[in-house]
Amino acid sequence: MEIAASLANVTKTFGSTRAADGLTLSIPRGRTVALLGPNGAGKSTAIGMLLGLLPPDSGTASLFGGDPERAVRQGRVGAMPQEGGIIARVTVRELLTFVSGTYREPLPLNRILALAQLTALADRRVDRLSGGQAQRVRFAMAIAGDPELIVLDEPTAALDVEARRELWASMRGFADRGRTILFSTHYLDEADEQADRVIVINRGRVAADGTSAEIKRVVAATTVRVTVSGEAAWLGRLPGVTGMEINGDRATLRSTDADATVIALAQAGAVRDIEVTPADLEDAFVALTTAAAPSGAALLKENA
Amino acid sequence: MPGYIRLELVRSLRDGGYIVFGVIMPVVMYLLFTNLGITPGDKHDAALFAMVSMAAYGALGSAFNNGSGIAEDRAAGWLRQLRLTPLTPAQVVAGKVVTGVLGVVPSIAAVLLTGVLVNHVTLTAAQWVQIVALLWVGTVPFSLLGLGNGYRLSGQTASMANLATMLGLAIVGGLWIPTTNFPDWLRAIAEWTPSNSYASLSWHAVAGEAPGLRETAVLAGWLVVFGLYAMYGYRRAGRTA
Repeated sequence: MEIAASLANVTKTFGSTRAADGLTLSIPRGRTVALLGPNGAGKSTAIGMLLGLLPPDSGTASLFGGDPERAVRQGRVGAMPQEGGIIARVTVRELLTFVSGTYREPLPLNRILALAQLTALADRRVDRLSGGQAQRVRFAMAIAGDPELIVLDEPTAALDVEARRELWASMRGFADRGRTILFSTHYLDEADEQADRVIVINRGRVAADGTSAEIKRVVAATTVRVTVSGEAAWLGRLPGVTGMEINGDRATLRSTDADATVIALAQAGAVRDIEVTPADLEDAFVALTTAAAPSGAALLKENA
Repeated sequence: MPGYIRLELVRSLRDGGYIVFGVIMPVVMYLLFTNLGITPGDKHDAALFAMVSMAAYGALGSAFNNGSGIAEDRAAGWLRQLRLTPLTPAQVVAGKVVTGVLGVVPSIAAVLLTGVLVNHVTLTAAQWVQIVALLWVGTVPFSLLGLGNGYRLSGQTASMANLATMLGLAIVGGLWIPTTNFPDWLRAIAEWTPSNSYASLSWHAVAGEAPGLRETAVLAGWLVVFGLYAMYGYRRAGRTA
C-alpha cells in the first residue's frame, strides 16, 4: 500500500520531556487515520515533525516518501495546526483566495466554501467569526489547495457538539474525494466514529495501531454473560475467554473473541439469557495509556 | 507571491495605525507647520523643506508599521500557516519587504500632493523624479529595521518598539524641527542618524544640489546594519515559530 506519511524511529526532546521516544508510524494513502492520545502524549510533536515544522532529534519523518518540507512546497499537503491562522482585517473570501492561489491546482473557491460550509459567510471578516466558524475557515485553508493529504491537529478541541458535527461533515466531504486525512484527538468517540484506523500514542510512543475494532478486541475484552447451572469451570476454557467471574448462577466471561465464545457456548447447548456487551474504546484507551501497556498492543502493532 | 502582496496591502489599507501614522498625521503636521509659520525662512522654501520632512516622516511611519504587522502575524500563528502553504520562507520575507516598499507610496504621495495643491510648491520635473525616487528607495533600511523588530519581539512590544524608534528617528533626525535649530551636540548626533541622512538626500535635491557623499554613506551603512538585524530576527523567529 502506498504510504502518505511516516515517522521512522523518531525522537524529540524538549528540555527533560521526551515528546517522541522512538515513534514509528505510517499513514496509508486514502485513509482517515486518528492519532489518539491523552494531552501531552506527543500528538502535536508527531504532527509538527510530519509537517516539517519541527526537526526530529533522530529518526526520519517523511511525506510521500520524501522530505516533508518538499511535499509542502509541492502543495501535496494541507494542514490545520492546533491554533492560529486567523488574521485581522481580511474577509473569508480574500483569505481563501490567497491561500488557494499559493497552490498549483486548488479547488475552485465556491467548492472550498461549500465543503467548509462557509458560503453564507464568504464576505465576513475572519476575525469577527464565532469559534466554530473560525475553525471551519482554518479547515478551509487546509483543503484549499486540494492536497492529497490533510493533517489536522485536534480540529474539534474547544468546539461545541453542533460545531463538531458540522466540521466532521465537512471532513467526510473531503475524505470522499479519496484524500488521506490524519487527525489527532483526545476524544475517543471521535477516533472510533471517524477513523478507518486509530493509532494510540502515549508518552511519545505508539501504544496501539489498528482499526478501532481491532484495538478493542485485543485490549479490552468483550463481556459475555450467561446463566449456568452446576459446574462452570469449563466456561473458562472456551475459545477467546481470558477471565471469568461467577455470581450465583450468572457467569461473566471476558472474551477477546466474543464470536468464538458464543459459538462454543451454543455448541455446548449452554446459551441461556446470553448477554454480549461490546468493549468500548474508553476501556481500551485506559488500558493502553496506564503504565503497564498490555502485550496485546505490541502484538497488534506487529500485525498492522 | 503577488497574491500574498495583494493580501498584505489590503490588510494595510484597513489598518487604522497605518492610515493615521502613515498618511493622515504627516499631512496634518505638514499643513500645521507650513501654515503656522513654525518653519523659519522664505515661505516657498519652508514649504519645500517641510514637504520633504513630512513625506519622510510619513514614509517612516508606514515602513515601521509594516514591521509591526509581522509580530502580530506571528502571534496569530499566521507565519506558521504560511509555512504550511507552498510559499517558500524567502517568498514570504520578500513579499513582506515589497509590501513595506509599496506601503510607503501613499504616505509620500499624500504629502507631496498636499505640497503641490495646498502650498503651491514648484519644482522642476527632474527634481520631482529625484525626490520621489530618493524618498521611496530610501525607506528600505527602515522597513528592514521594522521587520527585524517584528521578527524579534512579541506583538505589543514590537509595536511599541517600532513606534518609539520611528518617533525617535523622526525627531532626532530633524524631520519635525530642522537640525539647524538643534544645540550642537544634538546636531552632531542627528548627522549620524539614518533618518537625517535619508531626508538630507531629498533636501539637497529640492535645493537643486547633488546628494551628499556623507549622507549617502551613512544611509548605506545603516542599510547594511538593519539588513543584518532583520536577518538575525528572522532566523530567531524561525526557531521559535
